[in-house]
Amino acid sequence: MKLLVIEDEASLRRSIVDYFTQEDFLCEQAGTFQEGIQKADNFQYDCIILDINLPGGSGLKLLDYLRKDKKPEGIIIISARDAVEERITGLDLGADDYLTKPFHLSELYARVKALIRRKYTAGSNIMEFEKLQLDLSLKILTYNSLPISLTKNEYEVLLFLITNKNRVVSRQAIAEHIYGEQADNLASFDFVYSHVKNLKRKLKEKGAGDLLQAVYGLGYKIVI
Amino acid sequence: MSKTLAQKNNRYLLTWLPIVLLLGSVLFFVMLDHHSSHMQEKQLSLKQQNIWKAFLQNPESLPGKIDGEYRITKNDEQSLDTASGYAHLTKQYSLYGNNYQLTTYIPTKEYSHLVIKVFATELFVFILLLIAIVFLNKKSSLKLWQPFYKTLESTRVYDVVNEPFIQLNNETGITEFNQLNNELNSLTDKVNLAYTNQKQFVENASHEIQTPLAIIRSKLDLLINEPGLKETTAGLLADITEANDRLSQMNKSLLILAKIDNNQFPEKTDIDVSALIGKLLATYKDHYDNFPKLSEYIETGVHLIANPALIEILFSNLIKNAVIHNISGGFINLQLTASQLIIENSGLPLTMDPSLLFERFNKGNADSKTTGLGLSLVKQICRLYYMDLEYTFANQMHTIKVNFKQA
Repeated sequence: MKLLVIEDEASLRRSIVDYFTQEDFLCEQAGTFQEGIQKADNFQYDCIILDINLPGGSGLKLLDYLRKDKKPEGIIIISARDAVEERITGLDLGADDYLTKPFHLSELYARVKALIRRKYTAGSNIMEFEKLQLDLSLKILTYNSLPISLTKNEYEVLLFLITNKNRVVSRQAIAEHIYGEQADNLASFDFVYSHVKNLKRKLKEKGAGDLLQAVYGLGYKIVI
Repeated sequence: MSKTLAQKNNRYLLTWLPIVLLLGSVLFFVMLDHHSSHMQEKQLSLKQQNIWKAFLQNPESLPGKIDGEYRITKNDEQSLDTASGYAHLTKQYSLYGNNYQLTTYIPTKEYSHLVIKVFATELFVFILLLIAIVFLNKKSSLKLWQPFYKTLESTRVYDVVNEPFIQLNNETGITEFNQLNNELNSLTDKVNLAYTNQKQFVENASHEIQTPLAIIRSKLDLLINEPGLKETTAGLLADITEANDRLSQMNKSLLILAKIDNNQFPEKTDIDVSALIGKLLATYKDHYDNFPKLSEYIETGVHLIANPALIEILFSNLIKNAVIHNISGGFINLQLTASQLIIENSGLPLTMDPSLLFERFNKGNADSKTTGLGLSLVKQICRLYYMDLEYTFANQMHTIKVNFKQA
């Protein structure tokens, strides 16, 4: 998978590239508007992560340029501005998703994966890891061919953890993934704890006890 | 007790004007009386001169007396008759060795009648004057103070958030009011500028803080995945992550507050509040394992025209507040009607001044899981849409009422 990260903040750009490289993505980076146009013109990517505030021009302009040029890449906007109009303009111009800073890398990764899945995997929508099978269109989890019934929230947690498999995902990232970017919702970490507890119990009942691990006080991880 | 300008003015006039007029009348009467006696004396002495002259020319033919006019007697004939109703003047004269006494008379009745008539007329004129002055004063002060009342009305409407633009007329035709309006104009300009600067500062600061927060967050996400992480390090990272997320939450809330202040939620739609509150309650029941015992009365079809994002923040913050600041085994009563939303919840009394409840960063307890901005968001949203917000605490129960007063 090839990814282009267009973001002017070098430190943040490096974090994104690091995270995705560890997941076997091939990453290119651009720090300015011109650099972004140049790289997007010369190569073909599976996904472009695009910041709006860029030196040399707005990311929205770049987006417009790419879409007029019939570039098929999936594009995810990352922006510090959480204005509804900007979000709508971005999506109208052909962006596939919009994420507000500050975001968790696990969330960005889940968005990119979901986008790639939507765009490039026609038909089958089933994730399989040895005995574990997750049907994304039917939202059914089976382990050893035994179905495990999950609540909506438990399913979301599981999918998020599986997408970020073999990585520690912080409780905060899970909370934000499920409950959105609602203001002042810090109490939601407690819900994450109870959802994960239930999920763990259900997995254990079907014999997949050590699949889901708690990592000290930090968060959780699914080891596959 | 305060009275209106017109009332005050009237009261002064009605107190002092009659006193002044009364004193004037007394003075007038005294003067009138003085002048009339003076005139009587003059007339009497003139009559004396004329009659004595006539007597000198012809002492024999002139009658010794005419009633009501004069009387001449020889000195030895002492007989003094004083007719009532007449003023008289007596003088001694001598002619050819004889002494005469001449008394002249004029009637006083006519004079006193005249004095009374003039005085009555004057009183009538004074009363007329009093009425006219009060009436004219009323009319003219209404007209005079017109610009002042206009200014008053404009400043009443002035609100630094919702109605910051008042342009007061500085050509009222009255110098003082022109000055007043000029001063008020520049005052509101200064207030508006200070307010704009302040809210822009908050918004810019919040935006600038987003980027470093994003960097810290991304580095923490990488750090917690470093191989060979020790438990102590993990503990530290967990604390840092939590603090950083709290900072992000706070910053987001501050940004929303700044945006409300900057009127950046202009888009409005028709919102089905009944459905929204039903949905929020369902979500929170799902989120909280320890959701308090809920009794709800939700009227169907309650609608508001407002910004959907803000209205959702408003109601979800109120419901969340009732859950978070509850006691174990507590309850929540929620009642929604077309005109108001009432949320009651059991809880401990506030440890702070209730009037500060809706102010920024005022937390009822040192709970690290709240940012202290939730209720100030509620307040700002209510203010934006002219909704009344009321808080009371009684019988171990917090009550928050939101009255929808949509224009």
